[in-house]
Amino acid sequence: MILLFKIALLFTFGMFFIPKNQKYLLALALQIMLIVPSTVWALDVLNNKTIIIDLGITTWSGSIQLTIDSLSAYFMLIINLICLCGLIYASGYLKPYLPKKRSVFISLHLFSFIWLHGAMLLVVSMRDGIAFLLAWELMSLFSFVLVIFEAQKESTLKTGINYLLQMHLSFALIMLGFLIAENQTGDLSFAGVGEFFSRNPNTPLFLVFLAGFGIKAGFIPFHTWLPRAHPAAPSHVSGVMSGIMIKMGIYGIFRITSMIQSDLMTIGIIVLAIGIVSGLLGVVMAILQHDLKKLLAYHSIENIGIIGMGIGMGILGKASGDHYLMVFGFAGALLHNLNHALFKSLLFFTAGNVYYATHHVNMDKLGGLAKGMRYTSYAFLIGALAISGIPPFNGFISEYLIYSGVINQLSNSVFIISILSIACILSLVLIGGLCVYCFTKAFGISFLGTRRQESFSEPKEVPKIMLLPAVIQVSFILAIGLMPAFFGEGAINIVQDLLHMPSSDFAASAVQSLTVVGHVNMLLIVLIVLIMLLRAWQQSQVKIAAGPTWGCGYTAGDFRHQYTPTSYADSLRELANPVIDYKKVYTPFPEKEIFPQHKEFHTESKDLVEEKTVLSWVHLIVNHLPKAGIAQSGLINDYLLYPMLFLILIGFLIALNIL
Amino acid sequence: MLSLLLIFVAAIYFPGVIVKVKAIFAGRKGPGILQPWYDIFRLLKKGSVYSSSSSFVFQIAAPIYFTTVLVAALFIPFEESIALFSFTGDFVLFAYLLGLGRFVIILSALDVSSGFEGMGANREAFYSMLMEPAFFILMGSLAMFTGYTSFHDIFANLHYNSYFSAIIGIIASYVLANITLVETSRLPVDDPLTHLELTMVHEVMVLDHSGFDLGIIKIANNIKFVLFSTLSANCVIPQALDLWIRIVMLLVIQAAFAAGIGWLESFRARNKMAMNAQYILSINAVALILIFVAMIIKNKI
Repeated sequence: MILLFKIALLFTFGMFFIPKNQKYLLALALQIMLIVPSTVWALDVLNNKTIIIDLGITTWSGSIQLTIDSLSAYFMLIINLICLCGLIYASGYLKPYLPKKRSVFISLHLFSFIWLHGAMLLVVSMRDGIAFLLAWELMSLFSFVLVIFEAQKESTLKTGINYLLQMHLSFALIMLGFLIAENQTGDLSFAGVGEFFSRNPNTPLFLVFLAGFGIKAGFIPFHTWLPRAHPAAPSHVSGVMSGIMIKMGIYGIFRITSMIQSDLMTIGIIVLAIGIVSGLLGVVMAILQHDLKKLLAYHSIENIGIIGMGIGMGILGKASGDHYLMVFGFAGALLHNLNHALFKSLLFFTAGNVYYATHHVNMDKLGGLAKGMRYTSYAFLIGALAISGIPPFNGFISEYLIYSGVINQLSNSVFIISILSIACILSLVLIGGLCVYCFTKAFGISFLGTRRQESFSEPKEVPKIMLLPAVIQVSFILAIGLMPAFFGEGAINIVQDLLHMPSSDFAASAVQSLTVVGHVNMLLIVLIVLIMLLRAWQQSQVKIAAGPTWGCGYTAGDFRHQYTPTSYADSLRELANPVIDYKKVYTPFPEKEIFPQHKEFHTESKDLVEEKTVLSWVHLIVNHLPKAGIAQSGLINDYLLYPMLFLILIGFLIALNIL
Repeated sequence: MLSLLLIFVAAIYFPGVIVKVKAIFAGRKGPGILQPWYDIFRLLKKGSVYSSSSSFVFQIAAPIYFTTVLVAALFIPFEESIALFSFTGDFVLFAYLLGLGRFVIILSALDVSSGFEGMGANREAFYSMLMEPAFFILMGSLAMFTGYTSFHDIFANLHYNSYFSAIIGIIASYVLANITLVETSRLPVDDPLTHLELTMVHEVMVLDHSGFDLGIIKIANNIKFVLFSTLSANCVIPQALDLWIRIVMLLVIQAAFAAGIGWLESFRARNKMAMNAQYILSINAVALILIFVAMIIKNKI
């Protein structure tokens, strides 16, 4: 098994030496060689217990081992599923690029894709600090290569470099965390971190890790790379990145969270607060976007926020000794990882379909796609419902787990926990409502109505191979929605295993209520089908006609009269003002203009959180740096003077006994 | 199953009572109590016209909307008679089911590419987003007060302590009544009778639905009305009475609520559109007061 894994990674180099049209097949074969062993391990772990596999590579810190416990196994299965979908999707999505791109770029792209997959599998199974950091770095580097696939565009390259820098900040913080722990315990690994936590106050080190992993996950205020990198990357990459790669940050937070022992209340409040802020701001910013992929990127922040809220409530449950809340909070967050991976990659792939068919992702230019692209719009609609947490789909199940954990302890908890619980419920509800707002906009404006642009050709449905991943994802989404008990119980078992809890009756109580939820969902679908059949029967008896839309007496309706993304988001604009700088850009009508000239109108939005937290510092530095340019006179005399001055300074310092 | 039966019984006379009361206040005789249902049955037998710019979403919207309300009705308990579905946090699923119905109706409004319906869709999405927290805060505070987490258990245990229950019950009932008005788009948020499409919310979204689809949407609206008013009534009906007295009380409260709406709609003007957000947020504020009352009663503060 391990040999297969290694051979797969080794053979990726073969990608560069085979003809262009066979590269994809090799990539698929190699990916299956990665998937088979890791899936076998993961299923083995979920059924039995932790396994340790020796990778057979020795470094100065000992031999590298894969340690797979149930948390790793769970993430491994998600990684395999989403990456497989991504590669299947890529076969269709990359086709138009094949003639345009040079062979080496295609090789590099597929090579990086396989390596990203491999690196993520390694990230979740490495416990040794060095090996983990190495895998983490590989993941960041290869995802960078994937993002800059269209590097001929300057904006893409710029985005890529921004992404690379932020990922290295994340890397540095995680390394710092490991080193702090190593400094005291002498053990550069997760075990060392755990030992550090048992001896010292937990908050500072936890915050270091939270920031490090939080950059990857995209918690606000570390989110700024997400809305740039996802739209710039090709759709199969953004689907995989948003679906699973940002979850590696969540994996890290889970791993660290399972080890903390003191300061639980403080840490819980911090995580919950970051979760709430990310969730609410993420979705509010999403609503104001016009770019479909950017909108989805902001939704990733929102969903990461929901996961953060689950983790936060779990920690608070641990702090207050309420095991029910702890287990349900963590389990909800864990299940939301899977759910978000499914529907977000589905949405990115379908957004990719839209781009493939129309060459636009700007909603101002879309509309009416549901007629030409029927299957894509089915898939997007299901993804939209699922991400809004609406039954009978999977998004509801994980949110329900968090809700039921929180509601359950409302009457017994102490004041502070009650207040935080209510804040959590309120935010979840508001996020749900805003999500409905946002996705009725995203789906309604891009897929429904009529095209918002005079177009000469009706967009056509994409090739079938690009719809195949959607079939896989939708069937999982429905499976979780209709059989929530199985998945809920699984998540609870993983949480209990992670926290080394004895098995309790929580799983049973969750199964009990989730079974009913599953039944309700099934009943809902059956009844919908029945009503539709009833209507079909009724309509077979009477006359069915097609006519123009009722324009309230006005008969010259036009596609320009439809609601636009801007007008749909207008109600929320004032509420969103504190976080979004939203501007209308237009030339006003001059007072005495008789014959109107050509005028333009568009809106711009700027992320104020980014502006205030990140860019303000950068601007400050950039503005003051030119002043240092005085020293750069261009005269060799001056440049010789500087070392001289430096030496004199050293001499002084030594003379004064400072050095 | 008793609660389901009662909901359907109340749904039969509820819309009729509103119309009748409004007619009486306007000095007319008014149609019979069952007239709204005759209209609906006529619609169910009619043919339909579909907008040529609509797609499959328009076709599935009405059945899904109808079904969600129907399934949501299975969650409503009436005192000790257990609803068909009852489990921890069932009110979450109840609210999200109604969310599904709202989602598809909003989409169907956007599907016909009419500016008016887009307006209605936008408002519905915005108002319901503001409204939903009130319902959850309310149920959260009832859960906090009673210590139970499902509709049935909450209402069955709301009355163990008379004074406190009365306070909580009355505020909860008031909040639920207001939620009903917003959810079903009645005055003061929306006037279903205004014949100006620019100012409508719910009615403008279903402008292009016709025949069978419109019929089931109207049935769903009637049931939705009664769902919320049954919840509201559940908060105030004392537990100790005999079952048949409570059934009569429920039906009377429903009728009184309908009459109240008729009265309200006869004498009050619709809010200015811009005021609606404030109005809905004020309901949220009352719900927040409720949760603090519950906290005080539970000695948490």
